[in-house]
This record gives sequence, structure tokens and C-alpha cells, in this order.
Amino acid sequence: MAAMRERVVFWYGCNAVRHGDIIHSAIELLRAVGIDSDPAGGPAYCCGTAKDGNLDAAAGMAARTVEKFNATGHAKVVTWCPSCHRHAGTFMSGVNPAQFEVSHITGMLHERRHLLVSRLTHAIERRVVLHSHSGFHEVDAYPLIADLLRLIPGLDLVVTDYEAPGHMCSAIAAVPAALKDVMRRSVDLCAAHESDTLVTAFHSCQRLLCGLATTDSIKVVNYVNLLVEAMGLTPPPDEYAQWKNAGSEAAIRAQIGPARIAKIGAEFFAGQMVPELLKRPEK
Amino acid sequence: MKSATEQLLGYIERNIARTLADCTTCGKCFDACPMTQYSDRLPGKSGGEVVAGIRSLLEGAGGTPEALEWTRLCTQSARCIPACPENVNPMLMMRLARITALGSTGGPALLPDGKRDPHFFRRINAFSALQLSESELADWQR
Repeated sequence: MAAMRERVVFWYGCNAVRHGDIIHSAIELLRAVGIDSDPAGGPAYCCGTAKDGNLDAAAGMAARTVEKFNATGHAKVVTWCPSCHRHAGTFMSGVNPAQFEVSHITGMLHERRHLLVSRLTHAIERRVVLHSHSGFHEVDAYPLIADLLRLIPGLDLVVTDYEAPGHMCSAIAAVPAALKDVMRRSVDLCAAHESDTLVTAFHSCQRLLCGLATTDSIKVVNYVNLLVEAMGLTPPPDEYAQWKNAGSEAAIRAQIGPARIAKIGAEFFAGQMVPELLKRPEK
Repeated sequence: MKSATEQLLGYIERNIARTLADCTTCGKCFDACPMTQYSDRLPGKSGGEVVAGIRSLLEGAGGTPEALEWTRLCTQSARCIPACPENVNPMLMMRLARITALGSTGGPALLPDGKRDPHFFRRINAFSALQLSESELADWQR
């Protein structure tokens, strides 16, 4: 039986904007399971979780974002980012009472996977390893994602017992030795399971791991793009990964193009974005 | 009416009080932590003693060097949550310890705030401008 269509806020968070492909694919998947979304994200919708050292800012951001969601009149906000999801259920609700329910996208897609299964008609003949973390305890996201990926015809999903610490890779970045261990284990797992593809759940894992294409010939793909591909659609290009693996500053600039670079400012691009894009995963 | 900052501080103080009331300093959260291996200072330390330092930090008494080091290393692995026999949510305890150690609750700053990045939001806006259309930026991010 088809579920009624529902309209929600899809709150993709701040840092996910490095991956426009993920945002667009997530919206497509929500639509496929009967959920129309009003997307919201970027700094104007920051949850404030990164502002533990400045409670005025943290409180202002939390209060503002809850107020904006309350004003939409939507009964539900669907989260993408585990940090936002966690913060919404704890500190944000302590600042400004929410007039909406918060659900994570993995739960929404999983709950309605019966609507997705008939759309997943395009086989993906590939063995992939699911990259997991232990820290998102509010939602048991990885078994949900694994269930969704198992609906893809031809896909050989490897779920290992390795869980990286943190709730996603950015949480570990503050401890470089730990992040190196995660990189090393991820590469080793792919080798042990004879797979050349690592599947990420979250944007910051995608951001920090996608350079493995250059260093270790491992393709890193987010699960939403695999599901969209299995729907027979062409997933939006993972431009961030393309830039990360472009090989040189000149190649990055050529891919992005002068018009887009000019839009954000040449000086800022050179000083603040190129170094990030040139940084390789370290093991 | 309380300001947003006062509301947030109230939430933090209530959770600190609840943590202090329920934590028995058994140290099982510390023992379960996968991050202690990344410190020269923490391996081999008594979990109960390090957690007593966390309690001292939350009480406003400054903690111990080991407690600050553990606070610095916490990446929210959540392995501590099932390890706690008192259902305290040690991961939240560590977040509260971090907020306290950064000086946000009125005490001195005991740890540097590694997340203070003046370009953080501007970089996000810049990547948005590269990846989203003008209408998406207008409709989704304002």
C-alpha cells in the first residue's frame, strides 16, 4: 500500500554543502519514497554544535534555527548530519522548544523502503565495503543503510565489524593519528575483501576519504548516490571528489573554471579552498 | 524572559548537576574509550581517577591534567555509553567537560578551542556557491 505523500524540511546542515551531489541525491530519494522536502542548510541554519567555546553564538544559532523551522509550520524536520541531529535532540531543544519532530533520513528511507524497492531496477555489479563509525548512537544508521543497499540488484555489500571512533570522520580529524588509523584500516578492509569501492554514510567521511582514489585507487561513494544510480538515474557528479583527485592546483582550477572561482573571490579560493582540495588522506 | 544564552547555560548546568549526581566514578567509560591509545599520558591510568578529574572539572575545580587530556581527545565514539552501569551518558558528560574546559561556563579556559576558525562559515558559503544554483542558494540557505 502506498504511503501518503508528506512534506518536510530536509535539513542538510552546514558542511554537507561541499557535496551538492549528496544533497541533490538525498532529495531525489526522499521524493521517491513519497516525501517532498523544503531543503534548508548552510550557515543560516547552523545548529551551533561547533560553538562550544562561544555559548552566545551557540545559543543564538540554535534559537534562530529552531525558530525558522517552527515558522515553516512543518511537523517534521528530516536531518542528514549526525552532529545536527544530536544537537537538535539535546542542546538546541534546551534553548528554544521545537514545534516539530526530528527524524533522520536513514530512518525515513528505511521505513519507506517498500516504496523504493520497485524503483531500484538498475543493477550495480560491484563489491563495496561499508565504512562505519560507532558514535551516532541516537540512530542505528549503519544497519539501516546496509538494508537499503541490499535492495540494489547486483550489489555485493560487505559489512565488516570495524567501526571507526567518532560519529563521522570529521570528529576524528582533531586527533591526526586516529584519522590515519581510520584511513589505513579502510584501505586494508577494501584489500581484504577484494573491493575497490568504499561506501560512506555521511558527508565528512566522503570529504576526508574521497582522496583515496588518488592514493590507493579506491573509489569512495556515498550511499545515496548508489541508490540513485540503482534507480536508473545518473547521480549528480561528486565534484568535490573530482577536485580532490584532480592532481594539481592547475587541474582543480581548470575543472572549477574561472567564472565560478571569480564568484567566490580569487584570493579566498587560493588561500582557503585550494589547500583543502590539495590535501591528501594520510595513513 | 531568559535570553538564549541563559537558556543554554541553564541546560548545561542542569545536565552537569545530573551527571555529578549519578556518576559513581567507576571509570568504566574511560576503560571503554578507543581514543586513550592516542595519548602518551593516558594509557595505564586508572579510569576512576581520570573520571574523578572530570568531575572536578565539572564542579569548577579545574580538573586534572589527565582529565583535560581525555577531554581533548574525545571524538564522541559513544563506546562509553553502553559501558556505563549508571546510565549517565558519559559522552554527554565529556561534551559538558569540553564546554567547561573551554571556559564557556564562566571559569578559566583550560583547553584551546581548536574549532575557532575565522573562515569556517565563509568556506561553507564558498563551497555552496560552487555546488548549488542561485535559486537553490536563495531558497535553501537564506
